Amino acid sequence: MSEHDHHDEQSLVEEHSVKEMRSGLPASPPVTETTAHIHGGATRTLWGDAWIRLRKNRLALIALIWLILIVVAALTADLWVARVVGDPTTIDSSTAAATRLMSPSLQHPLGTDDMGRDIFGRVVYGSRASLTVGVAAVVISLIIGLLLGAVSGFYGRLIDAIIMRITDIFLAFPYILFCILILAILPDDMRGIGPVILSIGLLGWPSFARLFRSSVLSVKENDYVDAGRALGASDARLMFRHIMPNAVAPVVVYATMSVGGAILTEAALSFLGLGIQPPQISWGRMINDGRGYLISNPGLVFWPGIAIVLTVLAFTLLGDGIRDALDVKMKD
Amino acid sequence: MGDHLLEVKDLKMYFHTRDGVVKAVDGVSYDLDKGETLGVVGESGSGKSVTALTMMRLIAMPPGKVEGGYALFKGRSLLDMKDDEIRHIRGNEMAMIFQDPMTSLNPVYRVGRQIAEPLIVHKGMSRKDALARAVELLRLVGIPNPEARVRDYPHQFSGGMRQRAMIAMALACDPDILIADEPTTALDVTIQAQIIELMQELQQRTGSAIIMITHDLGVVADMADRILVMYAGRMVEYGTTDEIFYKPLHPYTWGLMDSVPTHDMTEKRELNPIKGQPPSLVNVPSGCAFHPRCPYVQQRCITEEPLFKIIEGSHGSACHFAGDPGFVRGEAELAGVSA
Repeated sequence: MSEHDHHDEQSLVEEHSVKEMRSGLPASPPVTETTAHIHGGATRTLWGDAWIRLRKNRLALIALIWLILIVVAALTADLWVARVVGDPTTIDSSTAAATRLMSPSLQHPLGTDDMGRDIFGRVVYGSRASLTVGVAAVVISLIIGLLLGAVSGFYGRLIDAIIMRITDIFLAFPYILFCILILAILPDDMRGIGPVILSIGLLGWPSFARLFRSSVLSVKENDYVDAGRALGASDARLMFRHIMPNAVAPVVVYATMSVGGAILTEAALSFLGLGIQPPQISWGRMINDGRGYLISNPGLVFWPGIAIVLTVLAFTLLGDGIRDALDVKMKD
Repeated sequence: MGDHLLEVKDLKMYFHTRDGVVKAVDGVSYDLDKGETLGVVGESGSGKSVTALTMMRLIAMPPGKVEGGYALFKGRSLLDMKDDEIRHIRGNEMAMIFQDPMTSLNPVYRVGRQIAEPLIVHKGMSRKDALARAVELLRLVGIPNPEARVRDYPHQFSGGMRQRAMIAMALACDPDILIADEPTTALDVTIQAQIIELMQELQQRTGSAIIMITHDLGVVADMADRILVMYAGRMVEYGTTDEIFYKPLHPYTWGLMDSVPTHDMTEKRELNPIKGQPPSLVNVPSGCAFHPRCPYVQQRCITEEPLFKIIEGSHGSACHFAGDPGFVRGEAELAGVSA
């Protein structure tokens, strides 16, 4: 515990033990090893404690580090990629013929593609589209799903029936086909990252709504919700303070894993030519572009493929880790 | 009307279910004054808890429906209040302690936060002040080292400590009425005694009235000023604690007393439970609801529902023969007729 970790409760504890020592009574044992990380430091919230537990989960931690690495690389790509491996977003027609389909070298660590662009650089740039689509689409689904699921589960009855039937209808849509349909009817000049996010996000919410509803339904039955009501908590307070925090864990886990799913969908749509449009780079698009060279130059397909697999896997492992970390009872 | 802190009159709460109408509370009346303790005694399903929950408006309606009667708190009708009015009373002027301390605390919040919550909600305290008060409250209910314990999660508390924390939560806003719904049922016997003692002590300090709901006459014997005995949603006997213990009027009350184990019990004397099961509330027996289990049953008991009648002072009973000379616990003759 460092000096600046003191807050009001912490200092209360210290005052107390000082008082005890002065009065000659046996001082309460100093904060012991097992309680130190629970009581100590600035982490006092559910999420703060969850973070402490997450840090102990090696797989989740590796996944998190990988994701942070990708995010940092994606955010800073403009600063260093072009300088290190050449601009991967443009085709230099004067040198393209000479530099195309090169094997890995110091200059091009993963080689070059059929247009002479650096594959490593393109994978780095491709992460932008994947991460943006993955996170933004899930956020859209999450907002709609949490809202509808909460209302549905909390109020029940007619509202519940109406919301759940709408959810059922949406669940009956063939997800990918519907995305394809939406994107296919768009005029070419409107295609791009925005419609991809919207179509994935607007079709993905039903599972969130269902999951959150069932979670709210089971949490609602807990005695502490009744106790909260008996102590005068309002509906909103019950929902946001007593039910939500207890019900949200499975949804957070599912959301984290869904980011991976959204990335896969984006890759599939871009592979089909309906998603991200050139000159924007996406991993799915790269696989599509490289599929003609699958035998002669498998690197064109392999590296963006590996990027997809690792990133999706990382989101899944992280989701798993968050689930364990949020389980208060698994502590210690 | 309205002179008492709490006045419940002929309260009826029915549940309309697929199987029929469940008369969970069927005409219950009592008064409660400041600083007083009322014991509500009865078997499981006798409507003890529902009576309290009805007053707090914590029964979901539908399926529940108030079919009659009223409940006045400081002269205001609890059953007609707007939602935000009753919400202001809950936890603030009337607080409740639940039966199972293991599940009545929210597992994701630290104990201190939860005790502080009613203070933040009702008294508009800042989080910091409320937490400081939570430490005081934990100390008041006898949690050692409350400054550290206030930051524990509920799962780090033992059952007895959790019930103490629940009591601290209920007491946070200095309520006029504390409703304890079998607060010791889930605890082991030694802890039970501690909790009862604690509640008595706190009552003396804060002057709040207590409604103690229990199935155990022993629990209310020391504590209650008055006792209400319920059976199948109806009140069968009501009186001061002395009246109930020394001059019980209803055979059901006699049965409850005979089934309490005592210290002077020799190996030979066996426990004397009330035979049979409490009735289903969908299909309440005709006449006196207790008649199938009553050893003194008469023809009249089967056909005619006994009215609750006052025998002496406030002491009353819903038995046809209450107050008859000779119809006294231990002396009444067993019935000649059978049901």
